[in-house]
Amino acid sequence: MPTHWLFLIVLALGIAGWFAARQKALASAGGSMRALHSLPNTYGTNAAIWTIVPALLILGAWIVIQPVVLDHWVSGSIPDSAVTDAGDRSLVMADVRRIAAGLNLAVAGGGLSAEEALSMQADAVSIRERMADLGIAIGTEPTQVSLDAAQKWFRIERVGRIAMTVIVLGAAATGFALALLRARRDVNARASVERAILGLLIGAALIAILTTVGIVMSMVFETADFFSRYSWTEFFFSTDWDPRFQGGSSLGMLPLLWGTLYISFIALLVAVPIGLFAAIYLSEYAGPRVRAVAKPLIEVLAGIPTIVYGLFALITVGPFLRDYFAQPMGFGNSSSSVMTAGLVMGIMLIPFVSSLSDDIINAVPQSLRDGSYGLGSTQSETVRQVVLPAALPGIVGAILLAASRAIGETMIVVLGAGAAARMSLNPFEAMTTVTVKIVSQLTGDTDFNSPETLVAFALGLTLFVMTLALNVLALYIVRRYREQYE
Amino acid sequence: MTDATASGNAQGRSRSLKVLDERTRKRYAAEKRFRYYGMGAVGVGVLLLVILLVSILSNGLGAFRQTMFELEITLTQAQITEAEESLLKTSVYRGFIEENMRAALTEAGIADEVETSQAMELLGGDAGSTLRNWAVGQRVTPVPEPDEGVTRTFNFLADGRIDGYFKGRVTMESAERDSRVTPEELALADDLREAGVLRVEFNPGFLTMSDASENQPEAAGLGVAIVGSLYMMLIVLCLALPIGVCASIYLEEFAPKNKLTDLIEVNISNLAAVPSIVFGILGLAIFINFMGLPLSAPIVGGLVLTLMTLPTIIISTRAALKSVPPSIRSAALGVGASQMQTVFHHVLPLAAPGILTGTIIGLAQALGETAPLLLIGMVAFVQEYPAAPPEGLFDPASALPVQVYNWTQRADPAFFERASGAIIVLLVFLAIMNVTAVLLRRRFERRW
Amino acid sequence: MKDSRIEERDTTMNDTKISARGVQVYYADNHAIKDVDVEIQDKTVTAFIGPSGCGKTTFLRCLNRMNDTIDICRVKGTIEIDGEDIYDKRIDPVQLRRKVGMVFQKPNPFPKSIYDNVAYGPKIHGMARNKSELDEIVEKALRRGAIWDEVKDRLNAPGTGLSGGQQQRICIARAVATEPEILLMDEPCSALDPIASSQVEELIDELKENYSVVIVTHSMQQAARVSQKTAFFHLGNLVEYGDTDEIFTNPQDKRTESYITGRIG
Repeated sequence: MPTHWLFLIVLALGIAGWFAARQKALASAGGSMRALHSLPNTYGTNAAIWTIVPALLILGAWIVIQPVVLDHWVSGSIPDSAVTDAGDRSLVMADVRRIAAGLNLAVAGGGLSAEEALSMQADAVSIRERMADLGIAIGTEPTQVSLDAAQKWFRIERVGRIAMTVIVLGAAATGFALALLRARRDVNARASVERAILGLLIGAALIAILTTVGIVMSMVFETADFFSRYSWTEFFFSTDWDPRFQGGSSLGMLPLLWGTLYISFIALLVAVPIGLFAAIYLSEYAGPRVRAVAKPLIEVLAGIPTIVYGLFALITVGPFLRDYFAQPMGFGNSSSSVMTAGLVMGIMLIPFVSSLSDDIINAVPQSLRDGSYGLGSTQSETVRQVVLPAALPGIVGAILLAASRAIGETMIVVLGAGAAARMSLNPFEAMTTVTVKIVSQLTGDTDFNSPETLVAFALGLTLFVMTLALNVLALYIVRRYREQYE
Repeated sequence: MTDATASGNAQGRSRSLKVLDERTRKRYAAEKRFRYYGMGAVGVGVLLLVILLVSILSNGLGAFRQTMFELEITLTQAQITEAEESLLKTSVYRGFIEENMRAALTEAGIADEVETSQAMELLGGDAGSTLRNWAVGQRVTPVPEPDEGVTRTFNFLADGRIDGYFKGRVTMESAERDSRVTPEELALADDLREAGVLRVEFNPGFLTMSDASENQPEAAGLGVAIVGSLYMMLIVLCLALPIGVCASIYLEEFAPKNKLTDLIEVNISNLAAVPSIVFGILGLAIFINFMGLPLSAPIVGGLVLTLMTLPTIIISTRAALKSVPPSIRSAALGVGASQMQTVFHHVLPLAAPGILTGTIIGLAQALGETAPLLLIGMVAFVQEYPAAPPEGLFDPASALPVQVYNWTQRADPAFFERASGAIIVLLVFLAIMNVTAVLLRRRFERRW
Repeated sequence: MKDSRIEERDTTMNDTKISARGVQVYYADNHAIKDVDVEIQDKTVTAFIGPSGCGKTTFLRCLNRMNDTIDICRVKGTIEIDGEDIYDKRIDPVQLRRKVGMVFQKPNPFPKSIYDNVAYGPKIHGMARNKSELDEIVEKALRRGAIWDEVKDRLNAPGTGLSGGQQQRICIARAVATEPEILLMDEPCSALDPIASSQVEELIDELKENYSVVIVTHSMQQAARVSQKTAFFHLGNLVEYGDTDEIFTNPQDKRTESYITGRIG
């Protein structure tokens, strides 16, 4: 039975449960709503939940787990000799999956009976031709080994499907029966429904944790794989980055890290003074009318996607810097450079720094300002000597958050910084960053068995750990700061 | 001690407050300087915004206008049938265009000076297929009157270099060095434009056509990218909004103060600051390699963007829930509503405008996100429109910001103009979303 | 220690330091102070009393133009200090505030060391030519704030780490460090416990030797204890102003009497 049919049947059963339970509950109270413990609709909802939710959970889990288990079983049954012929187990498995899918289609289309599909022999007839007759294309003539494996796959999948149908429908029916049994006037259906909803809410909240786990898992295994193929000391401490597709690459992270930090540094050099002064002006000096215009305008910069900044770097800032600074001053003639990416990233970070600093400056209590004015200090003396020192921890936190943004930023550096891994002090030279290399190693044709691809996961994990550390530290500082003035 | 004070006071007393002493004057100068720094910073911020927008607009507005041949084409049913039966269908159609081009040149009165085949050189590569797409729709089987003709006026896109010439990107000098265009062709284009056969007009195809190959910048459009972005936004809306609202309700209204809740809270605030590219790695490893979802599909992009947007939505939803005063909750609980009923009947409806505003802003963020989509294969060259959802969610598609990136990676500078044009489209969408959010907030803002 | 000249002035009590005439204050549309006339004398403690929201703090903040920092606040009428109208356009509020120091309701030490808190005013006004002079000023101010003995060993500790009473005395020391002539105190004891309050009250009594002190207070007992003159404010009006003894024993106005006997407030 196709999955969506199963899904619809469960839903229909749930709706039926709703009406049945509602009816039964009302009947148990002699048709009078007031004698019921909960509202009649609540009994209905209770039944619907009991019917649908467990069944669908099982269905979902089954769909996710079955292919993984199947893959494991079948690939375990392929002899090693066959694997060495083909070069790689995953290639054989790709073949197997294709053939199995072909058999499936053929049986579903009625061109082949299940028995025929299972008894096919590779030498007897050309499977490829047989399939082509049925309108199913298979790339190459399958070997006996892969045909066997595919038949095993096909057999288990058929059994699995039937089992899934039975179990899911069984779960739905059980839930239906149980809920109906409990649709009585003295049962607290509301509590039961609310427990279910609470479960749903908790589940939604747990997705945040699942995401983090997913992020870590997705990188940890591949990174471990990478370090089993490539020395970790080389990766962390080598200054040479030179991936080659024929193997023998040098994959030292330091040049990428240098580029990342250099660009972030320039970006902060641009963003922190401008952002901070803008925040001070807007929160301490500007009248309501100036604030009402200037603040949203600066915040527009924050709403602009990074690809826009990237394009700006690529077609405007880069050529401008090259033609008016780098070339006349003899610093080189590359339009993508640390300076280009740093400047543009700085622009991107201005609103980030200014709105965070604005919040923090506003959190400084007015009484401190009054104290300072009361002593006869001017506004700027108050800001520099009282407000800023008081806000300093918060501002440091904001700068750390901005730094973490800068380190993790991708599109601006992809389009503005260049692709050459280099450790140089000249800001007008093209350099590259961790994020640029993650993109370049993971786009295009990727082979998940080569260190050249896997290194991207190690880079990703390093990036994740770095930004996480910065964020945790920054959030901690900012929280401490806020508590101080609450 | 008293003496010192007395003398100090005496000094102060002798001085009028209306006269600024030297030191105070200096302090006021410093005050003024400081204020100028602040104004300067605000000014620089606004100026940079203006430069950014002007740069994008001046580079990109050209993409909405394109050089086109306006030709009247007459085809007979027999011609269509003949063309459809031949092997190189589009080149046969191109032949039909050539016949009609001759007529057009004659009509414009320049048939003597201009060879038709030369004029055909200026025509973009996709003219044949444009004509065919229309002709196939006109074909009737069986052919009733083989000689019966259908006539329609077409705007065929001119070659990208010719278009570049009219927009100032290509000059006579650069044409000398260019293998794809000659100065003679540019001169011819000038003549044709004067004769009214060539004109620069608004190009709706930029918004509706799909991407085109490296050699046909004139035919590249945003259609597939817009549809892909739309699909992804649909997925993000359908997943992130309910999940985000449920999670926020739990954390704000039900969660006990314990380790697990703390962990979730810390997780959410950290996820909000995780670099977007890391979510791309997550998508690649979990959704594609582990779960086996297809590359380049909106479903994968949508899922990745959902996970990215969730923290934003959760944070703004919690703020909205928090702003509903406790008195409302007490009132509902006081008439005997359960906590669940209180939340769903009273708190949630009151928080709805705030939640909606936060969701729109989250969606706007997701719409402009590029980096994670690069890793899940959205960079692929996609020419086919995806099918209607739900199947279409699994078809390959592009996305607006990725299309921009894609075009910046091509050699022909005509694609830079396209990329800037695509940015304008993206910014218009973002502006609409943000303005909606602001209006919603204004309309429903409630002060307790 | 007392100078005979000052002694003399103290007894005569006729030296007008601040003279306000027809003062009106508006917060946006709210008429907060209505036509107040008052003469405040030098080397005297003057108390402003009255129920909450009667405008006594607002009026106090007019005296050193602290209301300037509030956008919606407008002041009309004239306030003269030493014969100069402080709302004159040519008057510099910064120099004014140096001359008219202020202590606030809640102790508000800056998040700096005790030393830097007190040295802040002298530094911005350039009162010390070198470090040793500054040290001297700080010590003198702390002594006058009656807190020198408690903090002399930890001048570099943060001012925020002290107790409420100590913090408030640091704030007083900070205010006197700039050598003001008038000291405005806005309910300086409201955030303090009774022991700390009495310390501050003692201090106020000593301060009147050198300064004209204006104190806003909620507590009538405090007003009676520390002040020589008392002004009673009610709903933005100055109802009655006179010698403290007179006001408390023989009030002329019904409203003053009701307030003092506890019927309104």
